[in-house]
Amino acid sequence: MDLESNYEIGRTAQFIHSNTFTRVALQFPDELLKDSVRVVSALRAKLRSLNNSSSSSSEQNADVQKEVGLFLMADTAYGSCCVDEVGASHLDADCVVHYGHTCLSPTTKLPAFFVFGKAPISVSDCVNKLSDYALPNGKRVLVLFGLDYAHSIQQIRETVMAASGSECKREFQFANVMCSVMNPSKDPEASNDLLARADGLTSSNSFGTVSGNVYSIGGLVWELPEGDKMEDHLLFWIGSNNSAFANIVLTYNGCEIVRYDALGCRMVTDLSQQRRILKRRYYLMEKAKDANIVGILVGTLGVAGYLNMIGQMKELITAAGKKVYTLVMGRPNPAKLANFPECDIFIYVSCAQTALLDSKEYFAPVITPFEAMLAFNRGSQWTGAYVMDFRDLINSSPVDSRSQSEEARFSFIQGGYVEDDGQGNDTEEEMDGALALANATEKALQLRDNPNTIAKRTAKSGAEFLAARSYQGLDIHYDSSLPGPYLMGRTGRAAGYENEKCRQEKLV
Amino acid sequence: MVKFTAEELRRIMDYKHNIRNMSVIAHVDHGKSTLTDSLVAAAGIIAQEVAGDVRMTDTRADEAERGITIKSTGISLYYEMSDDALKSYKGERNGNEYLINLIDSPGHVDFSSEVTAALRITDGALVVVDCIEGVCVQTETVLRQALGERIRPVLTVNKMDRCFLELQVDGEEAYQTFQRVIENANVIMATYEDPLLGDVQVYPEKGTVAFSAGLHGWAFTLTNFAKMYAEKFKVDEAKMMERLWGENYFDPATKKWTCKNTGSPSCKRGFVQFCYEPIKQVINTCMNDQKDKLWPMLTKLGITMKGEEKDLMGKALMKRVMQTWLPASSALLEMMIFHLPSPSTAQRYRVENLYEGPLDDQYANAIRNCDPEGPLMLYVSKMIPASDKGRFFAFGRVFAGKVQTGLKVRIMGPNYVPGEKKDLYVKNVQRTVIWMGKKQETVEDVPCGNTVALVGLDQFITKNATLTNEKETDAHPIRAMKFSVSPVVRVAVQCKVASDLPKLVEGLKRLAKSDPMVVCSIEESGEHIIAGAGELHLEICLKDLQDDFMGGAEIVKSDPVVSFRETVLEKSSRTVMSKSPNKHNRLYMESRPLEEGLPEAIDDGRIGPRDDPKIRSKILAEEFGWDKDLAKKIWCFGPETTGPNMVVDMCKGVQYLNEIKDSVVAGFQWASKEGALAEENMRGICFEVCDVVLHADAIHRGGGQVIPTARRVIYASQLTAKPRLLEPVYLVEIQAPENALGGIYSVLNQKRGHVFEEMQRPGTPLYNIKAYLPVIESFGFSGQLRAATSGQAFPQCVFDHWEMMSSDPLEAGSQAAQLVTDIRKRKGLKEQMTPLSEFEDKL
Repeated sequence: MDLESNYEIGRTAQFIHSNTFTRVALQFPDELLKDSVRVVSALRAKLRSLNNSSSSSSEQNADVQKEVGLFLMADTAYGSCCVDEVGASHLDADCVVHYGHTCLSPTTKLPAFFVFGKAPISVSDCVNKLSDYALPNGKRVLVLFGLDYAHSIQQIRETVMAASGSECKREFQFANVMCSVMNPSKDPEASNDLLARADGLTSSNSFGTVSGNVYSIGGLVWELPEGDKMEDHLLFWIGSNNSAFANIVLTYNGCEIVRYDALGCRMVTDLSQQRRILKRRYYLMEKAKDANIVGILVGTLGVAGYLNMIGQMKELITAAGKKVYTLVMGRPNPAKLANFPECDIFIYVSCAQTALLDSKEYFAPVITPFEAMLAFNRGSQWTGAYVMDFRDLINSSPVDSRSQSEEARFSFIQGGYVEDDGQGNDTEEEMDGALALANATEKALQLRDNPNTIAKRTAKSGAEFLAARSYQGLDIHYDSSLPGPYLMGRTGRAAGYENEKCRQEKLV
Repeated sequence: MVKFTAEELRRIMDYKHNIRNMSVIAHVDHGKSTLTDSLVAAAGIIAQEVAGDVRMTDTRADEAERGITIKSTGISLYYEMSDDALKSYKGERNGNEYLINLIDSPGHVDFSSEVTAALRITDGALVVVDCIEGVCVQTETVLRQALGERIRPVLTVNKMDRCFLELQVDGEEAYQTFQRVIENANVIMATYEDPLLGDVQVYPEKGTVAFSAGLHGWAFTLTNFAKMYAEKFKVDEAKMMERLWGENYFDPATKKWTCKNTGSPSCKRGFVQFCYEPIKQVINTCMNDQKDKLWPMLTKLGITMKGEEKDLMGKALMKRVMQTWLPASSALLEMMIFHLPSPSTAQRYRVENLYEGPLDDQYANAIRNCDPEGPLMLYVSKMIPASDKGRFFAFGRVFAGKVQTGLKVRIMGPNYVPGEKKDLYVKNVQRTVIWMGKKQETVEDVPCGNTVALVGLDQFITKNATLTNEKETDAHPIRAMKFSVSPVVRVAVQCKVASDLPKLVEGLKRLAKSDPMVVCSIEESGEHIIAGAGELHLEICLKDLQDDFMGGAEIVKSDPVVSFRETVLEKSSRTVMSKSPNKHNRLYMESRPLEEGLPEAIDDGRIGPRDDPKIRSKILAEEFGWDKDLAKKIWCFGPETTGPNMVVDMCKGVQYLNEIKDSVVAGFQWASKEGALAEENMRGICFEVCDVVLHADAIHRGGGQVIPTARRVIYASQLTAKPRLLEPVYLVEIQAPENALGGIYSVLNQKRGHVFEEMQRPGTPLYNIKAYLPVIESFGFSGQLRAATSGQAFPQCVFDHWEMMSSDPLEAGSQAAQLVTDIRKRKGLKEQMTPLSEFEDKL
C-alpha cells in the first residue's frame, strides 16, 4: 500500500489546514519511525499545495499564512498508544497527529488527530470465516476489530449483509470507530460523547459500560438493542493478538470470543492463554491484599483524569492503613522498579492498553487501579467483572471500608488469617503528621535492637525498611582519623576491565 | 437424658477436685469410639442396650459411614462413686460425684491435628490398645504428643473379646500378649522422664491398666478381682492386686502362692487363675447356652439377672452377663477418677507448658491454682461448625477464672504480641454452652477446669486463641499448639460456575477455620489450593467445603498434586557470572549441595538466622565440617528468611560489597522461592558469592541493578550444579497377616515404594511392615492395598522426608524432565525451562 493512502496524508493535511494549526507534532511509534521522513515531506508538500490554493482565494491572508511547523516525536515516555501531550507541549505544538496503534484515550489539553494505518486484509476470506463460524453458533455476533482494520470494516459489513440477507440483520452487529479526531477544548456536546466522560462528567458507574446500551472500549463504540446483554453475544475480533484484544478478552471474560487473524487468514478460538491471564491477575489481587507499602506508578501524563485517579488511589490506600508512595519514572522496567524494594506492590495508572505489565520479571507485582480497588476495599469481592480503563473507575466506588466488619482478613498468600495492623492506630499516627516519620523510624530502630522480632514484622514505611537494612550508608569512623591507604583502581572499559580480561583467558 | 440435667452438671463443675478432663487416644481402629460409647451409656445419655452398636461420638454422617472418627468430639459425663469405692482414694475430693469431660479423638494419622487440639485441653489420656495388634505407629505418635503436653496416661487393653471368641488363646498365652502390649507402651513412656509429672508408666497391679471389650461393654481392672478375692483369701486388697499380675503363681492343689511355676499341672499364674479363667468360663458357658450351669455360677459371683434377660441366648446373653458383672463404665471411670489428675492437680505442673508469660505473674498463679476467682484464662483449641451454617462454636478449656454469658473478653490471637494491638479484639461472649452428647445446653457460666463452647466469637478467632477478661491488658497468651503432621497433599479447586467465586472464597475461609491443619492458599497461576495431611483428610475437607461451607455450590477439583523441591547434586561445574541490566556490575557465584542433615537441622530450627553466630558456627564446624570463618560469613537463609538454603560470602577484598548485600539477599529470597526448574522452592543449596565487580558510582549499583542480577546468577549457578528434584516421601506402616504380605509387596513395588523393615509381632500372626512410599504415588494406595490383600492391610502414611529423584531434569525425556514440564504446565509457565544462556553472561 502506498504511503499516501496508508498514512492518510490528504486527510491529515486537510485537518491541519482547516484548523489553521501552525505547530504540529507528529507522533510515531518506534516501528513506524522508518517512514517518518517520507511522511513529513509528503505532508509538507500537501500542506503547501493546500496553502497555495487557499491563499490564492483569499489574498489578504497570504502574509499571515506561514509555513506550518511539523515536528517528529518518537520514543514516547509512556506507551506509544497514548498521545504524548507533554512531549508536544515541549515543542509548543498546538496539535498532535498520532500514527499507528492507539488506545484512543482522550487527551487533556491538545487536540489530536489519529491515523490508524491500514493493515491488509482479505475481505472475502474474512466474511466467509465469519459466517461459517457464526451461523451454526446461533448466538448473535458482535464484530469488533483492531483500529488498523477500520478501513475495511465498511466493506466487510456490506458483504456480510448482502450475503446473509435481511433476516440476519439482527444477527450481526458491527462496532464503529469512535472518532479519529479529539478536541478536548471544545464543547462536549458538539464533540463525541466519550469526550464528555473525559472531562470528568462520568455518566455511569457501572463497570465497563457506558450509559444505557451503548458500550465503548478501546476506541470502538456499539449499541446493543434494548434488553440484550453482552453475555448473549459472540464476539468476533478481527485483528492481531495485541493489547487491544487482550483488553477486550479481559473485560468481556464472560463472553465467547473468537479472533480472526487477518495476516494468516485463520480463526483462532483457543483463548486459554488470555483466561490464564485473568486468573493470574486474581492472584496478584490477593497478593496486593498482603502489601504494606504501595507504590503508585504514574504511567501517563496525558490521559484525561489521571490525576483524579492517583488522588483516589492514595485515599483508598491510606484508608486501608497502608503506606503509599507516588513514583514518576517513565515507562517502568524491572530494573527501575527494583530500585524500590520496599514497595510490596505497584499500581500502574496508565491507559487501558498499557495497563497490564507482565509481572513475572518484576520484583514486586504491578497491578491496575481496578485490581487495587478490589484488593484494598475490605469486603469487596471479585465477581469476574474486569475493568481495564481507570476512567470507568473514577468515582465508581466510594471508599467506605469503615463499615466493614472487623473480622480478621484471610490471606490466601499466607494460607491463613492475618491481622492487618495499622487500621486502628493509623489515626493516631496521622494526628502528629510531622512526627510520623520520626516515630516510624524510631519504632524500626527499636525493633532492630531485638533481633528476634525483626523478621516477624515487615516494614510499614520506607523509613522502617531502610532502618532494617544492613547497609545504611557510609560509616564514619571517628576514632581512626588516619586516611585509608591509597588503592589502585581498575583500568579499562566497564565491559571488561583489564584485570578481568586475563582471568577470563585463564578460565578458557 | 435419663441420668442428669444441665443444672446438675453445672453444680459439679464447681468442684474442681472432682473433675477429670481426659482424651481417648489410640491407633486407628483400636476401638476408641466404641469404648467411649459404653462410657457414655453409663452416664445415661443413651439406653444401655444400644451401647456398643451405635457410636455416640461419631456425630457426622460420613463418620458413621466410614466407621472412623474424623473430628474429635467432647462429651461431659457424670459419675457417682460409692463411699466404699472411694475409701482408698487419697487425693482431695468434694463428695462422691464426679464430672468427666471426655474427648474422643480420631485415630487416623491424617487427623492427628485433632488429637493435638484435644490433648491441649485435657489433663489425662486413656490410651486404648488393641490386645492383638498391640502398640502401633499412631499409638506411639499420640502417646509422645500426650507426654509432651504433660498429659498423664492410663492404658486399656481393648478388644479382649477377640481373645476369648476369635482366637481362643489359653490363659498363659493371653497373659504374655497383654504383658508385651503393656511393656511396649511403657518403653515409650519411659523415654519421657519428667520430674514434675513423675512416673508415667502403667502397671496393672497398680490399677492403671484396664482390660476391656468395648464392643461388648465390659471391662475390668485388677482392682475388681482383688476386691473379690481379698475377702476370700483374707488378705489386704493391695497385696491381692500384686498377686494378680507378674510372676505370682497359685496352685489350687496346695493352696500356695509361689514366685515360680512349680511345674505341677494345676499351678497357674495368678492372673490366669483368678481373672482370665473365670471370665473364660462365664463366656463359654453363656455361648454354649448352658444355662443350668450358668445360674449357680452367677449367683456365686453375686450377679443377679432381670427376668427378661434370662431368656437371652448366646452372644446376647453373654454380653448382658458380662455387662452386669464387669461393667466397662465403672471399671474405666473408676480408673480415671483414681489415677488421672484433676485440673487443680494437673495445672500445677502444666502451667509451665501452657503459659507464655512470666511464671510468677497473677495469670500464671491463677492457672497454677486453678483459681475460679482469678482472672479468666481460657484457651480455644478448635472451632466447631455449628448447625447454623457458617457459624462456629469456639471450643476450649477454662484454665482460670470463670467465663459467663455476656462477659466482655479480650481475645489474643496466635500472632498477638503483648503490648501491641495486633491480633487482639475485645468482644462479648454471647452464650456459654456445654456439650452433652449430641445436645448442646446453654449454661450461665463455666468455671475453671472445664471445657466449654462459646458462641459469638467466631468472627474474631481464626483457629485458636487465648481469652481473658477485658481489663487484663498485661496477660500473656497461652502457648500455641504444635502439630505433628504437615500438609503435603494439595488439590486445586475452582467453582463450576465462575460467578460462584465469592462463595468459594468464603467457603475456603470457613474451611480453614474449622480445621487446624488444612491450609487454603492460592497459586501463582491464580488457582485456589487446599493442602491437607493426606488423601483422606483432603477428601473430607472437600466434602465439608462443598456441602457445609459453600451451600452445595459445585466445585471442580484437580487431581491431587504434590509440591516438589529443587536441589543440586554437585558443586557448580564452573563459576558463573551474570551482568546487571546496565552491564556495569557483575556477580560471580557457585552453588553446592548443603551437607547431609543440614537442611533438616535448619527445618528443625537448630540452625537459623536468629542464632547467635558463635553458636551457629560451632554447630556448623563440629557437626557439618564447615570452616569456622566461613560459618561466620553466612549472609542469609531462604526462602522466607528461614528456609533450608543459604548464601555465603566467599569474596576477598571486594569494595562496596556490604552495599549490595541487601540486594543480593532480596534476589536470593526471590529465587530460592521459585527455583529455575519448575519454580518450586529450593532446598539444601548453598550459594557461594565468589566475586563481584561493581560500578564505582553508587547509583549504578543500586537495588534495581543488583536484585535482578542476583536472581539470574543464582539460577545460573543452580543450573550448572546438576539440578535435581526432591520429592516428598511417606513413611508407611502396615500391619497384616502373613498371607497378605505378597499383596502388600506387589502393590508397594508398583508404586515405587520400598520396604525397609518387616517384623513379626511376637506372639501374633501379624507382621509389621515399614516402607517408604513417594507421596505422589500414594493416591489410591490404600484402596489398592485393600483390594490386593482382600481388606486385610490398612496403611498409615506420615510424611517422612524429601528424597532426591535420580533422573536428570535437564535431560530431555527423563522422568524428572517430564515432571518439570507437567508442573510448569500446571502453573501456566512456559513449558520449556529457561535455558542457562538466559541467566549466564559472558565477558
